[in-house]
Amino acid sequence: MGSISEFFQHLMNGLTLGGIYALIALGYTMVYGILKFINFAHGDILMFGAYIGLFVFNFLRGDSPLGTWTFISFFIAMLISMIVTGALGVAIERIAYKPLRKASRLAPLLSAIGVSFILSNGAAWMWGTQSRKLEYPFDNAPFTVGGVVITPHQVMILIVSLIMMLALIIFVNNTRMGKAMRAVSLDQDTSRLMGINVNSVISLTFAIGSALAASGGMLIALDFKVYPSMGMMIGLKAFVAAVVGGIGNIGGAMLGGILLGLLETFGVAILGIPPAMKDTISFGILILVLLVKPEGLLGKAVREKV
Amino acid sequence: MPRENWQKGKMKKKTLLVLVVALVASTMIFASGDKEKKSGSVSSYKIGFIGPLTGDNANYGVMSRDAAIIAIDEVNAAGGINGTPVEFIAEDSEGTVEKGLSAIEKLAESDKIISLVGPVFTGPTFAVGDRCQNQGIPLITGSATHADITNIGDMIFRTVVSDGLQGEVAGHYFYEVLGYRNLAVLYAKNDYSQGLYKSMSTAFESLGGKIVDAETCMIGDKDFKTQLTKIKQLKPDAIYIPDYTVEMAQILEQAANLEVGAPFLSCDGFSNPVIFDLAGEYTDGVVYIAPAQVLKSEAYDKFVAKYQAAYGISPDSFATNVYDATKIEIEALKRCVAKGTVTRAAMRDEIAATKNYVGVGGLINFAENGDLIAYQGVYKVKGITPEYLGAFKVVDGKIQQVK
Repeated sequence: MGSISEFFQHLMNGLTLGGIYALIALGYTMVYGILKFINFAHGDILMFGAYIGLFVFNFLRGDSPLGTWTFISFFIAMLISMIVTGALGVAIERIAYKPLRKASRLAPLLSAIGVSFILSNGAAWMWGTQSRKLEYPFDNAPFTVGGVVITPHQVMILIVSLIMMLALIIFVNNTRMGKAMRAVSLDQDTSRLMGINVNSVISLTFAIGSALAASGGMLIALDFKVYPSMGMMIGLKAFVAAVVGGIGNIGGAMLGGILLGLLETFGVAILGIPPAMKDTISFGILILVLLVKPEGLLGKAVREKV
Repeated sequence: MPRENWQKGKMKKKTLLVLVVALVASTMIFASGDKEKKSGSVSSYKIGFIGPLTGDNANYGVMSRDAAIIAIDEVNAAGGINGTPVEFIAEDSEGTVEKGLSAIEKLAESDKIISLVGPVFTGPTFAVGDRCQNQGIPLITGSATHADITNIGDMIFRTVVSDGLQGEVAGHYFYEVLGYRNLAVLYAKNDYSQGLYKSMSTAFESLGGKIVDAETCMIGDKDFKTQLTKIKQLKPDAIYIPDYTVEMAQILEQAANLEVGAPFLSCDGFSNPVIFDLAGEYTDGVVYIAPAQVLKSEAYDKFVAKYQAAYGISPDSFATNVYDATKIEIEALKRCVAKGTVTRAAMRDEIAATKNYVGVGGLINFAENGDLIAYQGVYKVKGITPEYLGAFKVVDGKIQQVK
């Protein structure tokens, strides 16, 4: 580690990485909160969202140069992608998970792994395995703040993920549907007796989680490109983030995501862990948390589970 | 366990034993039958191919396979070899050692190929090459460049320049011609990338240059910001990235976003046109060492035209090298057929005997160890188009342009 500006550079890199982890971790944590089940197809839903976003964006943008329309069309594409991917998430739940709700806890987990393979292989079959470039909807020329180089893309990641997370918190805490979600996460049977339509709450949970994954997928795709296996590692990392923060806990997922992004970056930069071992940092932390505080960092402190 | 069951178990064991004996006997019969077939006439001669046909690096493998198919189609269109067609069997390695090994297993045992083209990548070539050497299957790779590949044994040939030479020319060119003294390297933890890094840095340091930082990554990584941030602080004269297209595209873009500033240097992996789709204007100014450009030959033009007509894109250096490798095997096969002994051993000797073969990639001669005798080309990207700066070789520790 050299200068102080290098420290802040790593901090910025880690924060943006963590922001994306957090956004995706929310999907895991919401589904777990409601159904006590890990949706292992979540990473592939993210990939699907990135493809939809890519196609819609390219279609809307056409040949137009960088400018207002390109910028707007990116967010229209993101919105459409979120809606389509949200619907996909609901469909997956109806087809692959709902019939297994009464089965042993292992069954939906295996079903999820199957869905994950169907999605990634299906994407490879339909769209090919090569990486595709999602163009930046703005001039991504970096600017310097106090020796730290920041790209507009990084700023966008932070802003979009912050908006999404805040919107989710407000929705869960301040709306009737949010209240219903909290109720279902506490006790499904009692909620049903109280007149809550549990099935539609579960569908909504999948819709929101998948939509968030789609937006995360598009944010990553700008930097990492779009390809069928793009959701695999990032999905696993987000899962780790959700567990580290305390699975089932929204605040925990955000904390876990940011923490993971920072630890990965600084683990390599300061501790000198070889970059080839970068992925092991996350999983090492996962094991450590499971051993020391299995409920996760915020698992017990906050009772509110969604 | 009740006695009855125990006896049943024993019975089962006996039947099993009989079955196994029968199976072994039958394979022996089939095996001997196969030997007889070899001396008789065959319905086709089989040449195998192994390369990544799916996955992130499929672009290299698919272009290579397509080039080989052109060579095979040419000989078959001309009526095969004395009326017997040449069959081409391509297997997917996904660029991995495990898949490469199961591919050679299939090609060697069930397809019974006479010779192999490929594998495309260095890692799988080490593993598959070992297997080929043990089973006596001659192999020509058009793109596995690691210096030690041909040390596997006498069955291994290549129509691509060894990294030993590529790295040596690179080190000398960076120091002597470009005048760099401090280099940073960002290489991937695999045989190809590591081999290039080692041979380049050995040459560069022997001249008095310094490698200020050697960072590593993995193939498949997408985020190189941590490594690049570290490199940026050290202010090297340039950064050498001997990696694959997808990784190099990420590195170039993220380096621009971090305003790293130093120019980039690369290797033959950069000659794949996909890099310009993925990295666009970020490729501007990159200098890379790759196989020397062929002096515009008729053979080259014809091949490019054929390739473009068939696939709609221009062939890269992988494709031209694999085309030559396949042609050389076909020519060797023709000589084997003419002499009446079509065996893998005879094939090997005929490949080794190749003299002054005019390939689309230039004149081809094999050194004693199976290496291609050659020099290296230097390219510089202007905008998104590579510009050829000439062919170079190292003579007595000094770089020399080949005129």
